[in-house]
Amino acid sequence: MPKGAEEKRVISDSELALSLQAGSLEALGVLYDRHRGLVFRTALAITGDAEAAADLMHDVFLRLHRFAAHIDPQRPLEPWLYRMTTNLSYTWVKHRQRWFRPFEDMADWLAGTRKDTPAYQAEMDDSWRQVQQAVSSLPLSHRGVVVLYYVNDLSLQEISEILDIPVGTVKSRLHYGRQALKQSLGLLAGEILPELQYEFT
Amino acid sequence: MENKSDALLRKMLKNWVNRLHPPDNGRARLLWEAAHISRNKIDLTVILFHPQFISYSSSSSNDWPPKFFSWINENSIQFGIQARII
Repeated sequence: MPKGAEEKRVISDSELALSLQAGSLEALGVLYDRHRGLVFRTALAITGDAEAAADLMHDVFLRLHRFAAHIDPQRPLEPWLYRMTTNLSYTWVKHRQRWFRPFEDMADWLAGTRKDTPAYQAEMDDSWRQVQQAVSSLPLSHRGVVVLYYVNDLSLQEISEILDIPVGTVKSRLHYGRQALKQSLGLLAGEILPELQYEFT
Repeated sequence: MENKSDALLRKMLKNWVNRLHPPDNGRARLLWEAAHISRNKIDLTVILFHPQFISYSSSSSNDWPPKFFSWINENSIQFGIQARII
């Protein structure tokens, strides 16, 4: 192997996982730089909240550090990251639905800053808000499958292994999730929003 | 093969999440916290296996509870960990 090529060799996730098990924080930093995008995007798509996604991303990598001894360095790391991210995101969404949403709605009402006022809506990008609402309105189990399939480009088999559900269940959830999204976003009738259409050109 | 509306949906969802990015200070925050956890782990080992006994003079057999609580307090303060006696 030429000297230059050897110097530029990318350290594999397996090697980094081994270093992490030995207590290397540098390895944690490299893994963070390498995978933070996929963790953040997944958490963001499931929760619909950028602040929560940043906190969950932090939590996922902290758990990677804490439970490094339980990770098999010979197996790919990404499925572990996806699994941890979806589980923590599900927990966040359930917790929020149960405890915080009623209080947030009441606080908005008391403060007179309800989110359906024209002033609030003017601040939001309507088209992207519509996408966010369409995804958030999916049942949590369908949302996870849709996000892993469309946002992360994972196969049905990979999703089945990550979520620990049969491939048939993945197909079924994907089918219903896809139909609901297309209907909400006007994709079935070809009524796609001009702003979103612009992004594709 | 993916149909047109499927491809559109994929692109739309990707564009939506790609508008936002993880915070810039995330790495520093993570490493600081991970280092902090590591240090606590080390301290716990020290206190469990190498406690620093101070020889307290015991005037009577009834003196051991306050001496014991003093020892716990001093060591927990020294190592920066919480101690609880159940």
